[in-house]
Amino acid sequence: MSEISAITVKGLIKSVATQEGELTILNGINMEVKQGESVAILGPSGSGKSTLLGLLAALDSPTSGEIVLDGEALQHMDEEGKAALRKRKVSFIFQSFMLVDTLNALENVMLPAELAGIDKAKEKAEAMLTRVGLSHRLTHFPNQLSGGEQQRVAIARAFICEPKVLFADEPTGNLDAANSQKVADMLFELNRESDTTLVLVTHDLVLAKRCERQLLMDSGELTEKSATSAQNESIESPVGLHSVEAS
Amino acid sequence: MEVQLAWRLFKRELLQGQLLLIVLAITLAVLSVTGLARVSERLQIAINGQASKFIAADRIINSPVKIDESILAKASELGLNRVSSVQFNSMVFADDKFQLVTVRAVEDGYPLKGKIELNNKAGVSYSALPKTGHLWFETRLGGLLAYPKQLELGNKQFTLSAEIARLPDAGFNPFASSPVVLMRMEDVASTGVIQPGSRVTYLAQFTGDEAQLTEFETYAKPLLNSSQRWVDVQSGDSPIADAVKRAERFLLLASLLGIALACAAIGIAAQRYCQRHYDVVAMLKTFGASAKQIRTLFGVHLLLVTFFGVILGLIGGFALDAGITAFLPDEIAAYSPPLTRPILLGLATGFISAFMFSAYPLMRLLSIPPLRVLQRQLEGLQLGMWLHLLLSLSAMALLGYLYSKSLPLTLTVVAGVLLLGLLLSVLGFLMIRAGHSVGMKTTNPLQLALAGLRRRAKQNAIQLVGFSSALVLLLTILALRQDLLSEWQNQLPENAPNYFLVNIAPDESESLAEFLSKNTVKTTDIYPVIRGRLTEINGEELISGEQADEGVEGRRGISRELNLTWRDALPENNELIEGEFNVNDDDVSVESGVAERLGIEIGDSLTYVIDNQTLRVNVGSIRMVHWETLQPNFFMVFTKHSLSSFAHTSMASFYLDEDKPEVILQIIKQFPTVSIIDVGNMIKQLRQIIDQVSLSLTLVLVLVVLASSLVMIAQTEAGMATRQRELAVLRTFGASGWLLRMATGLEFAILGAIAGLLAVIVAEFTLYLLKTQVFELNVYMHWEWWGIAPVCGALIVALLGVWRCRQLLSKSCGELLKTPV
Repeated sequence: MSEISAITVKGLIKSVATQEGELTILNGINMEVKQGESVAILGPSGSGKSTLLGLLAALDSPTSGEIVLDGEALQHMDEEGKAALRKRKVSFIFQSFMLVDTLNALENVMLPAELAGIDKAKEKAEAMLTRVGLSHRLTHFPNQLSGGEQQRVAIARAFICEPKVLFADEPTGNLDAANSQKVADMLFELNRESDTTLVLVTHDLVLAKRCERQLLMDSGELTEKSATSAQNESIESPVGLHSVEAS
Repeated sequence: MEVQLAWRLFKRELLQGQLLLIVLAITLAVLSVTGLARVSERLQIAINGQASKFIAADRIINSPVKIDESILAKASELGLNRVSSVQFNSMVFADDKFQLVTVRAVEDGYPLKGKIELNNKAGVSYSALPKTGHLWFETRLGGLLAYPKQLELGNKQFTLSAEIARLPDAGFNPFASSPVVLMRMEDVASTGVIQPGSRVTYLAQFTGDEAQLTEFETYAKPLLNSSQRWVDVQSGDSPIADAVKRAERFLLLASLLGIALACAAIGIAAQRYCQRHYDVVAMLKTFGASAKQIRTLFGVHLLLVTFFGVILGLIGGFALDAGITAFLPDEIAAYSPPLTRPILLGLATGFISAFMFSAYPLMRLLSIPPLRVLQRQLEGLQLGMWLHLLLSLSAMALLGYLYSKSLPLTLTVVAGVLLLGLLLSVLGFLMIRAGHSVGMKTTNPLQLALAGLRRRAKQNAIQLVGFSSALVLLLTILALRQDLLSEWQNQLPENAPNYFLVNIAPDESESLAEFLSKNTVKTTDIYPVIRGRLTEINGEELISGEQADEGVEGRRGISRELNLTWRDALPENNELIEGEFNVNDDDVSVESGVAERLGIEIGDSLTYVIDNQTLRVNVGSIRMVHWETLQPNFFMVFTKHSLSSFAHTSMASFYLDEDKPEVILQIIKQFPTVSIIDVGNMIKQLRQIIDQVSLSLTLVLVLVVLASSLVMIAQTEAGMATRQRELAVLRTFGASGWLLRMATGLEFAILGAIAGLLAVIVAEFTLYLLKTQVFELNVYMHWEWWGIAPVCGALIVALLGVWRCRQLLSKSCGELLKTPV
């Protein structure tokens, strides 16, 4: 882990208009994630974890506050600028895998590489799929793969462009314990190998504990916790350890 | 890269059947346009070709004076084929006998269309023209003059060399009192019959292609004076003019509606197509795809889908044409209209409809926010339905115009479709709202179904518009086709009279009737015929057309003698429009067309001159006469009291099987003064035309059925995403498979039944408008539909719905939640 900041957040506020008036989801978040660091964001459903993830990944715009991603300030960027930033520096893993069901495993992995105009996308995708143990499943379509396999395809897809920052939203949320373990192993292994910054939103404390830092989100506010206290707080929350809800 | 990706997505989605609906919709639209354009063009030419045989040309100028040379020169200059002839009445002499005949003198090239049919021992043969100095004569002249070898016409002796069975442009006129003789134009001068002031009809007949004919018409028609007539196959002289006109209108209207339906299917399918790609777009944006990349990707993707649909449609259209051609007679099948127009129309239809109907859904697709990957409920821009409606209606109007080349018709159809949509939306929404009071228990499938309808009221109202529009158009086309066919069937029933007997002397009537019944020939009726001229209306003297041209003021009459008859009862095939038929002794019943032209009304007093005597009668009724029926029809029908004192002959019509030619020979022998007119061939030709027209109507109906079905399938498909989520929830709460299947079936059935009911209401109204304003057909209610349409609507929609949901219904809730829709 280097001392260079991968993500810097200052005074981040996100409010939305509802029928009952304005609802503040994030209430002045400040945080910093170093390059190569892995951070888990924990918290009960509705606490604003996914909203924060969306903002950090330049998928959404805040009401106020600053986000600097790998040295680039997001607040001055338009949608096209953010898209270009995501293409160069960011990648994702989702709870529901989000594979294109009409493309096979290889084509799904090739997709971001092709969008970014990377040469030899096919060869790289093949190598990535081999790396996640799916060399025998290259031409299989998502509906022909198990949940664990689909998430491994998603991991291969996430790493093909060698992103600076990887955002993962409940990556094991839809998987059984055995597959969760396998997918998590693979995720952390690849993360380590490629020195990627990992920001992970999860309910899974076991998974959270594998990250270097754990942040707890509650009522729109973020606090840093030790793994143990985070575990205790989370156990007290009604959501439980392996909720399928991504919030 | 985007192109490659678009191609990959297209290939995969196509193989996995995800593009089936939109490809089918585009294919059907293109197939309809290409196929219909080609088939209707082919049939049009076939029908006009057949019809033009009845006038032996494509166009005729009929004139009482010599036709201006400049007009004829223009025809030649335009490359039209033309032939001139003259027609006049004259006496002919053979030995000590004489007879008034109608002389037709023609030049080489006659007839331009059809053939002269001659009778000989071997049956009917076809020949060119008589030689100079020769005359060909109509069969009945032979009987009247005892088959002489030579005949004198004016100053010249002619050899009688052949017996005419039928001249192609003789038309249908059983009242023609004088038989026809045919001679060469070169012989006319030597007869010395035509003198200055003689009553002669000059005819110029033309053939050529449509463009030449249209140009000629534009040039020549304004140059004709009021006594000269421009005749084409639709100008009323041909017995099938009306059938052709109506068939053309029907084909055009049905095709436009078919195209509108196929376009609607494209619209619905395009929306579904875009919905399916919401997640893909969100994900591509998440991975940093630029707006340009996504635009290019989906632009190319839609282009590929459209191209594929268009190619299939073109192939289908030509296959359809080939299939239809296989059923057509060889001479028609041999004609192949140019391919350019159908291909261009097909291409335009495919691309215009696909892109304009997809424009709005595509705009929404491209505006899907990347955040959808985390918040699945997020959708793109809501630009308002007006934009979608505007684009869709513009596409429909543009295509309609390209196809019909008629702006008023196109605008009428588009306005009609818009009104239909609005009307159905309002009615549908009200009906669904009416069901709001129903409770919601999840143990009873009916209640669950009603609750489902209520929950998705807006979506269901849209689905209802789709289902019922498809049914309205289907019912309308079905009813119109049926009415047109039965009208034509009535015109030429199975045993329509194929022979007419004219000039029956009063003392022969009885013995002739006896002879006919003995020979098992069914006579339809015997009509007395008396010639007379209408001279005054309400004491006001009528003037002729020529007098009117010379500036004489007054009411114009009919410049010729009419055939008058008497009847106690309204003739068959006639419809009473006003008044009562011949109640008083001095009543006369007038045909509606003449009544309108001369301004005759019920109660008017009419004066006739018959045999130099004056007869005054009062108009008691006005009738509509179906002139297209090959039946004796009369402008004026009197009472027996008024006419029986005048000298008259009678005419009869009957049907005779083709295998009994000996009956005709016996009539000729036993009743030599009675003339026989054989219209069997004419009936055959008419039947052929009507069969071809029927075929085209059926074809259009099939395409409309296909388009309607596709709209309904697409509409069912459109609601699948919400339905899947609901099924998952109900499953999770323990609803049994049976309950869900029943509830889904019932929900669709109720929707279908409402759609069916709405469709009948709107279809009856649409038919009323179309029949009264466009087709001049009788209006009546289709009561049977009121039961059948809701039941069929319920069945079809329920089957479609359950069939589409069958996979969803067999899945566990976990699978339902995961399956992409």
